[in-house]
Amino acid sequence: MQAGGLPDTNQVSTDPLRNEVPVTALGEASVETPTRAQALLRKIEPYLYLLPALLLVGGLLLYSVAHTLAISFTDWDLITPPRFVGLQNYIDAVRDPTFTRSFTNTLVWTGGSLLLPVGGGLLLAVVLERIPGQRVLKTLIYLPAILSTTVVAAIWSYVYTNNGVLNETLRWAGLDALARPWLVFAPTNTLAMIVASSWRALGPSMVLFLVGLQTIPPELIEAAKIDGAGERILFWRIKLPLLRPITAVVVIMSVIGSFMTFDLVWVMTQGGPGRSSETLAVTMYRQAFIMWRMGYAGAVAVILSAIVIVFSISYLRATLKRSAL
Amino acid sequence: MIERLSTGKHSLDRYLVLALLILFALVWVTPLAIVILSSMKTPIEQSQSGILALPENAAMIFDNITSASELSGIGNGILSSLIYAFVGSVTAVIAASSAAYSIAMLKIRFPFFWFLIIYSGTIFPFQMYLMPLFGLYQTVGLYDTRIGMLLFYSAIAVPFCIFVFRNYFIGLQGEVIEAASLDGASSFQTYLRIVLPMAKAPALFLFVTQFSWIWNDFLFGQVLAKSDYVRPVMTSLAMLSGTYGKGTIPQQMAGALTASIPTLILFFALQKHFMQGIIMNTAGE
Repeated sequence: MQAGGLPDTNQVSTDPLRNEVPVTALGEASVETPTRAQALLRKIEPYLYLLPALLLVGGLLLYSVAHTLAISFTDWDLITPPRFVGLQNYIDAVRDPTFTRSFTNTLVWTGGSLLLPVGGGLLLAVVLERIPGQRVLKTLIYLPAILSTTVVAAIWSYVYTNNGVLNETLRWAGLDALARPWLVFAPTNTLAMIVASSWRALGPSMVLFLVGLQTIPPELIEAAKIDGAGERILFWRIKLPLLRPITAVVVIMSVIGSFMTFDLVWVMTQGGPGRSSETLAVTMYRQAFIMWRMGYAGAVAVILSAIVIVFSISYLRATLKRSAL
Repeated sequence: MIERLSTGKHSLDRYLVLALLILFALVWVTPLAIVILSSMKTPIEQSQSGILALPENAAMIFDNITSASELSGIGNGILSSLIYAFVGSVTAVIAASSAAYSIAMLKIRFPFFWFLIIYSGTIFPFQMYLMPLFGLYQTVGLYDTRIGMLLFYSAIAVPFCIFVFRNYFIGLQGEVIEAASLDGASSFQTYLRIVLPMAKAPALFLFVTQFSWIWNDFLFGQVLAKSDYVRPVMTSLAMLSGTYGKGTIPQQMAGALTASIPTLILFFALQKHFMQGIIMNTAGE
């Protein structure tokens, strides 16, 4: 949109980055001997294009990463100056039962997300692949993925509240015994939120698996069928192994997403009651912005990063390799 | 099992599977229907009528939106987020495309190093950014300002954009150099007149995905803003909803619905790009 509009406004603006236009034009006019300044400019000009991106990313993001790392070795409440404490925050975190519970919850999130959206998405893709009307069904199932996590949290808070959608439906079906306060007790609250999150995550993983299935040569399937392979054998012996590259990507993405779970939990329970449904990202936020223990929060953020980066790097290797051309 | 290929039992199986899938899909979208229905009811009506009962007066939705907005500033949030999402993603697309142009097509030293530096912005969990940004924004007076939000949203969108543009430009290299040498253009003219027009497709795709990302952000709005005037839409919505929200159910649902309209429009207008988006996000191609 914007990119299409740009070339039409083809004139020199006040943007400092565009200054080289008149300069090079000048350089061309006085052909033979470009001055030293012009030669220098010519050399650095290619780097000027990098500048806005570098300033934004370096100045805001990478600076923050380094600073958080530094904060994690200090005791700091944002008011008094930070005091260096070495690894104390990390030791505190590992010994803190709240941190352990938060870590366990995060692992439950990871497992649950592999089971429901990833496993479920694969199953749906395999079933949907040969169904007429695939398009409509696919769109319907994908629909929740367009909503933001906050909207999903708002909707599912209503589903799970005492007189909410789920309990009312259970009572209507005569299953009163099953009705309960879904977000109050652990581990039900975490499991309930994983279901809510899966509502949003299922569609994208299904679509990815469908794309993967399309890349399997039909002759291969036909040949296997002629050899007498049933649906089950077809799935385990042919489709699943051939889906491996896309499966790897979906699994890694799901794990990274699980470890970063924040919005949904914060909006639905704020990690409560009694910090029973916290994930690592929620623990970090609470320590930093509710309890003002910046050092401890920094340690949690660094631990979280270490885990995420391991997975991110394997993800980057998978994607960069494929796009390296 | 083996012999079933074209028998009657096989097609019966197929219909059964289809019926189950349709049922599943309908249950799957029921929460969306409930959002729409509940947003059109009064609080009393909502608590007394059945969940799927039709509202008595659909226009009630406007009352709910108005009162939700008074409660949480979500009306302001929508305006702010429109600005953030539009200006932020356009800024990121421009910054990233020019950087990718330099990396892929101009003579610079260590192009891959520069690429990795900028792209490394995608690797860290957002929790690594929160405290320093909060501190920095407080110090330099960007906390709770629209310009501060815009700067951050532009920055966070750049790394993924540069990934896509770099891939795309590497593919274009030969063509562009040829076209540029034909009319002896300067590097800036080449960028403006040749590279950018060729990059319309990735630019549009990135605009859409980054727009949605910024629109959907909750966390950074929560950390970097506090006033109704600056707070983005999702952070306002969160004030209404959830266990600790202060809105009634119809207000919450009306808020959720309104906050979803722009991304829903984008989705249906550009469905292809969205699907392509998740594929690109994961497969890198």
